[in-house]
Amino acid sequence: MPVEGRNNMQCAEFDALLSDALDGLLTGDKSESFQAHARVCTVCGPLYSEADAGRRWLKSLGEIEPPANLVHNILVATGGRDTARAKSGQQVSWAAAVRGWMRPVFSPVFAVARQPRFAMSFGMAFFSLSVTLSLAGVKLTDLRHLDLRPAAIKRTYYETSGRVVKYYENIRLVYEIESRVREFKRATTPAEPASQPQNKEHKNNTSGQPEQRQERNYSQGPDQPVLAGLPNDPPVVMLTIYRRIA
Amino acid sequence: MDDAQAVGRLVRRCKAGDAAAWEQIVQQYHRRIYNICFRFARSADDAQDLTQEVFIKVYRTLSSYDVERGAFMTWVTTITRNLLVDHFRKSKQDRVTDSLDASPSENEDAMPLGQQIQDKTTPADMRSQSREAGEFVHRALQKLSPELREAVILRDLQDMDYREIATVLKVPEGTVKSRINRGRAELARLLQRTYRQVM
Repeated sequence: MPVEGRNNMQCAEFDALLSDALDGLLTGDKSESFQAHARVCTVCGPLYSEADAGRRWLKSLGEIEPPANLVHNILVATGGRDTARAKSGQQVSWAAAVRGWMRPVFSPVFAVARQPRFAMSFGMAFFSLSVTLSLAGVKLTDLRHLDLRPAAIKRTYYETSGRVVKYYENIRLVYEIESRVREFKRATTPAEPASQPQNKEHKNNTSGQPEQRQERNYSQGPDQPVLAGLPNDPPVVMLTIYRRIA
Repeated sequence: MDDAQAVGRLVRRCKAGDAAAWEQIVQQYHRRIYNICFRFARSADDAQDLTQEVFIKVYRTLSSYDVERGAFMTWVTTITRNLLVDHFRKSKQDRVTDSLDASPSENEDAMPLGQQIQDKTTPADMRSQSREAGEFVHRALQKLSPELREAVILRDLQDMDYREIATVLKVPEGTVKSRINRGRAELARLLQRTYRQVM
């Protein structure tokens, strides 16, 4: 039970002075009052002896020797490469700095791309691209002669546009000629009673031209006679088509 | 004061990108930081990992250190203490207040600490007794609560004064003294059961 010492020292004051007493900083009357309170107080007395014992236990602990590689590991973890560079006096090149910045960004992408399943896909894509370029007549060696001046690009643009339009018009000419030929043949062929071939022809007509049925005169009945006729000896037409491919 | 100025110059050089200055700081403080971490951790491996983490954090936050505001060692110790507290919170090892009669953690033997100490100590082997005493004290230190443990470690093992400890722990100086006294007494109670004759 806490008691008040002969020098009127309270337990709270004893507790506050305990550290100084253990450090040997108490002198004179303070020290005597402290020791007197420790002798008579049943709480502070054991506390003083236990704290003193604990302090001596802790002081008995020696310093632990750190691992030999600790400093090296710390320097590596905190930029050991920079330290080595500074020691060697080397300067970081601009390209190396860019590579250093890009590496953490692209490394995961390359790691994924190196997987076999993606490698096969990339291989097929490359093969398809090379075949397409070969069929289109593009040669990689021609790229060396590529003129990227604005005037040259403009000229190339107009040339390409002209070729495309010409090619398109040629195709249109072909279809017009073909359709004329069909009309001419239909006009020279005697009237066919069966309508089934006409249906087939319509199904196979991919010319994009309007259907011939729309050109019919629906006011004309099936039993009405055909007024137009052809001579018994129809003329033979020889037509040669030159398809121009740019 | 000369030491403080020398450390201040070292820190300024390090801030300017001097790798040699940083290496000098590591050489100068790694032993002290490792010892603090070792007394908190249970193994040398943990202490090594924690020491590396401390220096990584110091390296990253070195620009925030103001030479005028306090000693570099106090600043580094504060970082160490905060990191240790975070580490033990994450690993759920804080608030370990087992006494000698309490059941130890699951990583240890099934006997209480007092019995473990008694079983490992034989009267015939007095020379090894003193060598093992350090290990027993270290194990008893792990049984203290983190608040008491950090206070006694900084005071009795790192020889820091009360004002520096108060700065590190962010508590008043009186609280520091109280924690130190309670920590010492608790440690002594843990050990007195088997080592009365040594004291």
